[in-house]
Amino acid sequence: MPAGDRSLLSRLLAGDRRALARAISAVENGTPAAASIATGMSSRLGRAQVVGITGAPGAGKSTLIDALLGELIARGRTIAVVAVDPSSPVSGGALLGDRVRMGEHGAHERVFIRSIASRGHPGGVSKTTAAIVDVLDAAGFEVVIVETVGAGQSEVRIVEIADTRIVVCPPGLGDEVQAIKAGILEIADVLVVSKADAPGADRTARELQDMLRLRSGARAQVPVLATSAARGDGVAALADAIEAHGASAGRGTRLARPPARGRSETPECADDRRTCTRPRLQRLVATDAFARSLGIRLVDGGTGHALIEMTVRSEHLNFNGNCHGGVIFSLADTAFGLASNSHGQVAAGIDAHITYQVAARLDDRLTASAHEVSRSRKLAVYRVDVAGPDGKPISSFTGTVYLTTRPLAQDSED
Amino acid sequence: MNQAIDDHLLRVTDAEARWQREYAEQIGSDRQVVNRSGIAIQPLYTNRDWDSSRHDDAVGFPGQPPYTRGIYATMHRGRTWTQRQLIGLGTPDDFNARLRAVLAQGATAISLIPCNSVFRGFDMDQSHFELLGTCGTVVNSAEHMDRALAGVDLARTSCAMNDPSPFTLLAFLLAVANKRGVDWRSITGTSNQSDYLSHYVANHMFFRLALPGARRVLVDHVDFCMRHVPKWNPMSVVGQHMQQAGATPAEAMALTLSTAIQVAQDCIDRGLDPDAFLPRLTFFFDISLSFFEEIAKFRAGRRIWARIARERLGAKDPRSWRFKFHGQTSGVDLTRQQPLNNIARVTVQAMAGIFGALQSLHTDAYDEALSCPTDFGARIAIATQNILREEAHLTDVIDPLGGSFYVERLTDQMEDEILRVMKIVANAGGMYRAVESGLVPKMIGESARRFQQKVESGEQTVVGVNAYVADEDAGARQALARPDATAMRAHLEAFRAYKSQRSQAQVAAALAALARAANAPGDNVFAKVVEAAEAGCTHGEICETLRRELGFGHVPAFV
Amino acid sequence: MDIRPKVLITKIGFDGHDRGSRIVAAGLRDAGMEVIYTPPWQEIATVVKLATEEDVDVIGISSLATDHLIVPKLLAALRAAGSDDIAVIVGGIVPDEDERSLLDAGVARVFHPGASLAEIARCVRELAAAVRARRTVEQELP
Repeated sequence: MPAGDRSLLSRLLAGDRRALARAISAVENGTPAAASIATGMSSRLGRAQVVGITGAPGAGKSTLIDALLGELIARGRTIAVVAVDPSSPVSGGALLGDRVRMGEHGAHERVFIRSIASRGHPGGVSKTTAAIVDVLDAAGFEVVIVETVGAGQSEVRIVEIADTRIVVCPPGLGDEVQAIKAGILEIADVLVVSKADAPGADRTARELQDMLRLRSGARAQVPVLATSAARGDGVAALADAIEAHGASAGRGTRLARPPARGRSETPECADDRRTCTRPRLQRLVATDAFARSLGIRLVDGGTGHALIEMTVRSEHLNFNGNCHGGVIFSLADTAFGLASNSHGQVAAGIDAHITYQVAARLDDRLTASAHEVSRSRKLAVYRVDVAGPDGKPISSFTGTVYLTTRPLAQDSED
Repeated sequence: MNQAIDDHLLRVTDAEARWQREYAEQIGSDRQVVNRSGIAIQPLYTNRDWDSSRHDDAVGFPGQPPYTRGIYATMHRGRTWTQRQLIGLGTPDDFNARLRAVLAQGATAISLIPCNSVFRGFDMDQSHFELLGTCGTVVNSAEHMDRALAGVDLARTSCAMNDPSPFTLLAFLLAVANKRGVDWRSITGTSNQSDYLSHYVANHMFFRLALPGARRVLVDHVDFCMRHVPKWNPMSVVGQHMQQAGATPAEAMALTLSTAIQVAQDCIDRGLDPDAFLPRLTFFFDISLSFFEEIAKFRAGRRIWARIARERLGAKDPRSWRFKFHGQTSGVDLTRQQPLNNIARVTVQAMAGIFGALQSLHTDAYDEALSCPTDFGARIAIATQNILREEAHLTDVIDPLGGSFYVERLTDQMEDEILRVMKIVANAGGMYRAVESGLVPKMIGESARRFQQKVESGEQTVVGVNAYVADEDAGARQALARPDATAMRAHLEAFRAYKSQRSQAQVAAALAALARAANAPGDNVFAKVVEAAEAGCTHGEICETLRRELGFGHVPAFV
Repeated sequence: MDIRPKVLITKIGFDGHDRGSRIVAAGLRDAGMEVIYTPPWQEIATVVKLATEEDVDVIGISSLATDHLIVPKLLAALRAAGSDDIAVIVGGIVPDEDERSLLDAGVARVFHPGASLAEIARCVRELAAAVRARRTVEQELP
């Protein structure tokens, strides 16, 4: 292991917060150091209780977490929080952490807060999140809270990543409550009805309890708690429930779960396509002479998707003074090529179609975002959206590839 | 408010047709003009856009419903607007010196702006020394207030205190009045910027209690003032913060009116009689450079509020229907580049406020965009008002723009837009709920971004910034006003001495009583704040006690 | 470039006007950066802790009411915590004479009202790239 990595890891284990932050960055960005960090800490996992908190936007999660932090601090715990926010599909950027920064507990010395962006992962939680949780576990935090904004897929991923799963429901949602409840009952270890002082909270709590009673076994024992974080009610009970669950279920239960988590693998490669695919896409862009001549840059990408950008220069203009349609086609086609080749097999384009909606101008920063629409054994179809400044739609492109079985030439250079 | 469509209005006269033709031929490339509130502006307005058949119910006469032309029969011709300049710098002695100078130059009332540390809820010994007194006066106790108002006749001078919850500055003022033997019932002034909801959505300048606590303390404050300081205006509903934060003029008016409804309703729910507190409710607005839009905004607001007070809040006394407001020229429109240009800007803004029939006006100094204003800048700001009144004779005619096709039509359109936004807030459950849920901050943020895009794209010109850029006139920048560090240090030492020389027992007892009141829903928290001020408690001690008991109001997350 | 800068936009001191800082935060997000945004009134110690834990490249301080006068305190606190590799920029109302002393104290750049989002984004990108390059060379990440 390179000397730098070893010292980073030893400093992290000794409690150096800066080293910890750097290690998390390494894991988040999939740098070569990430692998050695993962190996070095693998024997130290399983002591933290990982608490996943999820629920629809507007459920009052951030106020609740703030109150929960206060309660855990009062109980003498060391706590880390991983807050996941969505990346903009258009720009790739993200606005992070403002929810957890609302309160003041971030300043406490026993609290460590890290905000991460979803970076294209639907629902936000990914192998990277799991790897970051591991680093915090190894660093010695007793409780690691993972929090996401959304609903749907992130709830599913929270299942895999956390030891104790908490689902927060706002009171009185009405019809939507039925749909949500059915799904979350399967995963929650603790159900919380937030804003308990608002109308409808009692009814929501009762409905959840009724539905739980219909389940059998462990599911029927899931506690339903009511909290009013603004008034401080119910937070102590929630902390108790979390500790009780940790005691009965044991720590590190997440580590024992089946391969979906890929526990035995280092975060750097193999099943975590994201961090292995990205270097591949970078290499493809670097070796594409035409894309380079257009000034195309990779912004982000993963298996089956790519986001690239370029700036319209004077040599890209047509006789009308607008960006030449061929340039836009080339941009879309490049994204198409990257996304379709991201799986590692050579994909040959056999059909492409483009429509132009709005002209692009000199100095416009254009982005092309490619997604996989369908994929069978031999054929795959991609859609590419080209956008101008501020996300204005410029052009739509669809393409079909024939999937060969040849591996990419670049891959075999490793 | 749709115009009635008459035959004669549909028919375009020959003269108008000719103008349309010539306009189209001569204009070259025309552009679509939209004002800040999103209303499309035509090149010309005629009697087909607004005709005088609407006069009686839409315009009327000053001093009576619909109040479009003004809330008093005589308006500025009878009594000019109050020239109320914000003053705040350094120590209480600095404030006192500037105050006397400004009163001698013609200001008729005072407005005290405390140091940002005070706004933050801190005492001076809890704050970064470098920041003390840079933007306001450091007043932490009744003793400081006494020095700041030395030589001021409290019974005759109207004092506005920029004093967000828990209104310690008023408490200090009342303690001073007691000491000087001045009857509280003769004290006039305003708790400026007392609107806690505006502090949540914009201009996160002020110490905030958590929403439920802030809501209650405001009603306590109104209740106390009505009983004991009947000439004081305890409730200043603020539109200025929202407009400065990016809300369009129509949005700012709509959100302000919605806040007024919320607060009035809270007071009514407490058992207060609307005819008792509504006459003492004042508004505080920003005046931007969008000249006609601002005039129309105020006229529409006046009209809407009269209806709300009467129909929605059940006020029967005509004095309750009056939309009283203080206007401040908008600092956001001022530039750092070529700062003397700001004098022209402030003049236009002030005129819009005057034509909008305000009751009280603050004009910014030209160097507001550089730092806190110098004496030189403050003098020009007052002179501007004097010139407008006495050289331009703007007070000779009441509502001189009334009847203008453009102004009346725009007033109607602004009213429509204002009502539309008010409906959004009402549908969200009222202003309190709309703020709590983040709806209002989101609305304001989006308007702010849209305006920024217009400036960045050049669609909105800002002279000296994105157009007509020039090398700076070095001579135009005067020396910056900074508090004298020696004087401030002496002030700090005196404060420390004061704290150790007080009766600690009295202070502790008063703070304990305040804490108890905070936890007893039937008690009046503000009454205990006043007692604490009398007992020698400091601003920071009072704020900290309430913060502990009622919680701190964290700013809503980014939207 | 492939790097996605991580930026903290915050306000220290007492001022609470945050229209500008919100616009800049959203603008940098739209320019593809990962932005941590805090409400106003942050303590210096909190900012240092946050910037360290989040491993940001650049801290952007918004200052409208003389709060820039305590930026040197922030720089000193970053140094004391060993986090002075983070670049600090200031935006808002800063008189000319104070701008000079801020730059001398270690602030990388001061932006005045009227600066465009594109300019600010370009500056942040350059600073972030320099910060990362230095970190890679200096230490932990080979």
